[in-house]
Amino acid sequence: MIKVENLVYTYPSNEAPTLKGLNFEINTGEVFGFLGPSGSGKSTAQKVLYKILKGFSGKVEVNGKDLTEWDNSYFEKIGVGFELPNHYMKLTGKENLELFASFYPKALSQSIESLFEMVDLTEAINKPVESYSKGMKMRLNFIRAIQHDPDILFFDEPTSGLDPVNAHKIKQHILNLKEAGKTIFVTTHSMETADHICDRVAFIVDGKLVATDSPQRLKHQYGKEAVKVELVKNEVQEFPLADIGNNQEFLTFIKGKEVKRMQTLDATLEEVFIKVTGKSLIG
Amino acid sequence: MQKLLKLALMDFKLIFRDPSLKSFLALPLLLFAIVIFGFPYLVTEFEGVKPYLDVMMVVVLVENTQMFCFINSMVLLDEKETEVSKVYGIVPLSIFEFITSRFLFPYLFTLLLNVAMLEVQTFYEVPLMQNLLLSAIAALIVPVYALGINSFVKNRMQGMVYAKAFNILVLIPFAAFFVPEQFKWAFGLFPTHWLFQGMDQLLAGNSPFLNLGIATAYLLILLIVLSKTFKRSHFS
Ligand SMILES: Nc1ncnc2c1ncn2[C@@H]1O[C@H](COP(=O)(O)OP(=O)(O)OP(=O)(O)O)[C@@H](O)[C@H]1O
Ligand SMILES: [Mg+2]
Repeated sequence: MIKVENLVYTYPSNEAPTLKGLNFEINTGEVFGFLGPSGSGKSTAQKVLYKILKGFSGKVEVNGKDLTEWDNSYFEKIGVGFELPNHYMKLTGKENLELFASFYPKALSQSIESLFEMVDLTEAINKPVESYSKGMKMRLNFIRAIQHDPDILFFDEPTSGLDPVNAHKIKQHILNLKEAGKTIFVTTHSMETADHICDRVAFIVDGKLVATDSPQRLKHQYGKEAVKVELVKNEVQEFPLADIGNNQEFLTFIKGKEVKRMQTLDATLEEVFIKVTGKSLIG
Repeated sequence: MQKLLKLALMDFKLIFRDPSLKSFLALPLLLFAIVIFGFPYLVTEFEGVKPYLDVMMVVVLVENTQMFCFINSMVLLDEKETEVSKVYGIVPLSIFEFITSRFLFPYLFTLLLNVAMLEVQTFYEVPLMQNLLLSAIAALIVPVYALGINSFVKNRMQGMVYAKAFNILVLIPFAAFFVPEQFKWAFGLFPTHWLFQGMDQLLAGNSPFLNLGIATAYLLILLIVLSKTFKRSHFS
C-alpha cells in the first residue's frame, strides 16, 4: 500500500519543480499506472518512491510507514524494473542476476534458470550481456526486478523496446504478479499497455495528475453510449445503447439487411487522454 | 559477509575480462624489476644517484598503489556509465558494505605489494612492523583516489584525463625533497606529502611516526568525506 500526498520534487539543478503536488494511492494487489507524455515526470515520481531521489516535499507512506523512516530493509520489499537496460556487459546474464540476488537475505523462491525460461532467455543465460539485443536486456531487467520476490514492484516502461509477442508476455507476467498479490506501479506512454494491465491509471502532464480512474470508467465517461451500425451498402447510423432492444428505429435499420460492422462507441484511452489533457501522448 | 565476497570476486571477473584493465596488473612487475635489478645497477654504475635512492624508493612505493587506483576507478566509472550503479541504489546494501567489498581486496593486495617491495629491496633495513605500518597507510591511497575520481567524473573518457591529473597530484609532494627547508611545509596540503616524509624518515632510520600519523589522519578524513560525495554521485 502506497500513499502519496502533495508530492513536490525539484531536481537540484533546476529552479522549477518537476513534480508539482501529486496525490495518489496504490492499493495492495493493484496495478497502478502513470500514463503521460515524455518529460511529464513519470520516471521522476518512481525514483522518489524507490528512494533514489531524496529531498522531496509532501508525504509518502509505504505500508503505513513514512518513506523517510524506512531503513535499508525497504529495498528487500521492493523491486525495480529500470527504464533502460543496465547490466554488466562483460558478465553473463546469469552472473548479473546472481550478483544482485546475493544482496538479499532471503533465498530466491525461483531458480535463476526458471526466471530465464520465463522470459525466453534460456539460450542466452550463459552469454555475456554485451551480446544481448535491447529487447533481451530489457527482459533481463524484468527478471532482475522480480527475482527476490518483492511485495512492491516498480516498472518504468516495462514493454519499451520489446516486440509485440514479448511485450504481450511481459504484460501477462505483470498480471500474474498482481494475481500473486503484489502491489505494482508501472509507467508507460502506451495506451494499449495501460488499458491492458492497469486497474487504475493516472494521467500525468507536466508534473501534475489530471485524472485518475480505471481505464474502463475513463473510456466510459468520455465515450458515447451508443452503437454504430454499418451496412454492406455503406449506410451508417448511430443508436443509443439505452433500451436498444426496444428501439424500433434500430430494429428496422438492421432488419433483413446485411450488416458489415457494429461497434460500441467507447472512447479509446488515447481519445480520453487527448480530451482530458488537450495533449497528445506522443511527443 | 557472503554478499561482500561475491561482489569482491565479481570485481576480479570484470578486471580479467577487460583487456585494458588486465594489462594494468603488470605494473607492479615492472616496478619490482626496477627495484630488484634497476636500482642496484644504477647505484654501481652512477655513484651520483646514491643520495637520491631514498626518494626514488618512495616514488616506487607510491606508484605501487597506482595500479589499483586506476583499475578500481575505471571499474566504478564503467559501472556509472552503463548505469549499473543505479541498481546498487535499490538493493539492501549499505554504503559501508559497498565500499568495503569494492576496496577490501585491492587494499590488501596493494598493502602486500608494498610490504614485498620493502622486503626485496636490499638498500635499507626496515623492521617488519614498520614496513607493515607504512604499507597499510600507503595503501589507503587506493580507496581515496578511486572515490575521489568517481565523485567528480561522469564517464570513462573524462576519467582517463582525471586519472592523469590525480596521478600527478599524488606525486607532487615529491618536489618537497628538492626545495629549501622553509618551503617544504607548503606541500603539506597534499596528503601524500606526509606519507613521503614519513617513508623517507623510515628509510633513513629516523622516527616516522609523526608524519605517518598525520598521513593516516588526513587519508582517513578524506576517505570519509569522499565516501559521502561518492554516495551522492554514484547511485542516482
Ligand atoms: N537528473 C535530472 N536533472 C534535472 N532534470 C531532470 C533530471 N532527470 C529528469 N529531469 C527533467 O525532469 C522532467 C521529467 O523527467 P522524467 O524522466 O521523469 O520524465 P518521464 O515522464 O519519465 O519521460 P519519458 O517518457 O521520456 O521517460 C524532464 O523535463 C527532465 O528534463
Ligand atoms: Mg521516463
